[in-house]
Amino acid sequence: MLPAVSACLLGFRYSRAATVASPCGGHHYVTAPSAKPPQPQAGDVTEKILNQPLEKADFFRVAELFSLKDLFDARVHLGHKKGCRHRLMEPYLYGCRLDHDIINLDQTMEHLQLALNFTAHIAYRGGIILFVSRRRQFGHLVETTAKDCGEYAHTRYWQGGLLTNANIQYGPGVRLPDLIIFLSTLNNVFQQHVGIRDAAKMNIPTVGVVDSNCNPSLVTYPVPGNDDTPAAVELYCRLFKMTINRAKDRRKQMELIHGLSAPTSQIS
Amino acid sequence: MAALCRVVSGLRYRVRLSPRFLRNSFSSDSGPAESPISGFSAAFDHQEVLRRETQSNAAGPKASSLDPELSFAALLRRSPLIQMGPAKDAVVVGRVFRVVRDDLYIDFGGKFHCVCQRPAGADGLQPGSRVRLRLQDMELTARFLGASTDTTLLEAQAVLLGPLDGREHQIRD
Repeated sequence: MLPAVSACLLGFRYSRAATVASPCGGHHYVTAPSAKPPQPQAGDVTEKILNQPLEKADFFRVAELFSLKDLFDARVHLGHKKGCRHRLMEPYLYGCRLDHDIINLDQTMEHLQLALNFTAHIAYRGGIILFVSRRRQFGHLVETTAKDCGEYAHTRYWQGGLLTNANIQYGPGVRLPDLIIFLSTLNNVFQQHVGIRDAAKMNIPTVGVVDSNCNPSLVTYPVPGNDDTPAAVELYCRLFKMTINRAKDRRKQMELIHGLSAPTSQIS
Repeated sequence: MAALCRVVSGLRYRVRLSPRFLRNSFSSDSGPAESPISGFSAAFDHQEVLRRETQSNAAGPKASSLDPELSFAALLRRSPLIQMGPAKDAVVVGRVFRVVRDDLYIDFGGKFHCVCQRPAGADGLQPGSRVRLRLQDMELTARFLGASTDTTLLEAQAVLLGPLDGREHQIRD
């Protein structure tokens, strides 16, 4: 999946001219015929920059950003009541105490590490990340998080064709996000957010915090955890922000090291 | 040095019990004790901290897998939420984090907050003040006719007993 995404991104990074629409793996990218192919030496170095993080399992060391105690203190393990439980969340639950579900933090640690690692790789390659949450209580927090890491957020009403009808609603040649992070996968009437289904339709990977009443099946990297307590959501926002900033800084550092040091460089 | 080690190992059990007792009495964390510690006890605490630091540095990131006290099962078992038992009629300490006219939004450490009416004459309850609550329910849910899952209100229910220690006008945090 990742090499294919990188191949698409290399060619179509800042294309604005709408001449030919060529779908590449579900995304609608546009080729700009006047774009110069990158020079051979720069291309080799760019390949090296892109492939080096793939050699290690935890290249960005995201496992250091959080610990089990941090998750526990932020009340990530608290789930809803037994009657609200979604059948597909049962594998992620540690148990049920006096009718309250407890989420297994050992599993959450692994899933969160995978999700943060994936987010870091996407940010390293210059992908667009979209934060989505329909919880009004945390709307401002999510928007400020996205602003602080230079990415995008959508915490308002989700129009039906936002992803699936983007070329008509927003003009041809729109670049869709490369990753969508759901801080809460439910909308205000406790149904699954439309963005999850639409992202799956458009082949956009998703990272989602799934509580015990959510459906984790369509989310690419589900993170079982509490999405109702402010402490937990602040922890997630902080972790995602730190990961994305860390990955972007690492990219700048790699470009400096390998000599592509122009700050206005547009080659990804 | 050898004498210090022997005294340290002898006092280890006595010192470990007291933080647990404190944690069970107050549901919110109170931090270190208010009375100033001096002399040998200060030195002992400092040595404990240094010893733990060297242990964690030596163990590295696998400290949690080696130390059973930090496993999720152990943390959960000793958490105040589990030790409390059923939530019905449990008295807890909460902290007001938002005030909207007469409604106080109080967070007591559970998954949800609770909303209580400000009692008449208690104008000293501001955001940040600590109150005592009697919990009724940690999450208000009910199964309605024709529904497959419960409907949840995303709130807890509690009865406000009054400010903590009767000191209405003292704002902590």
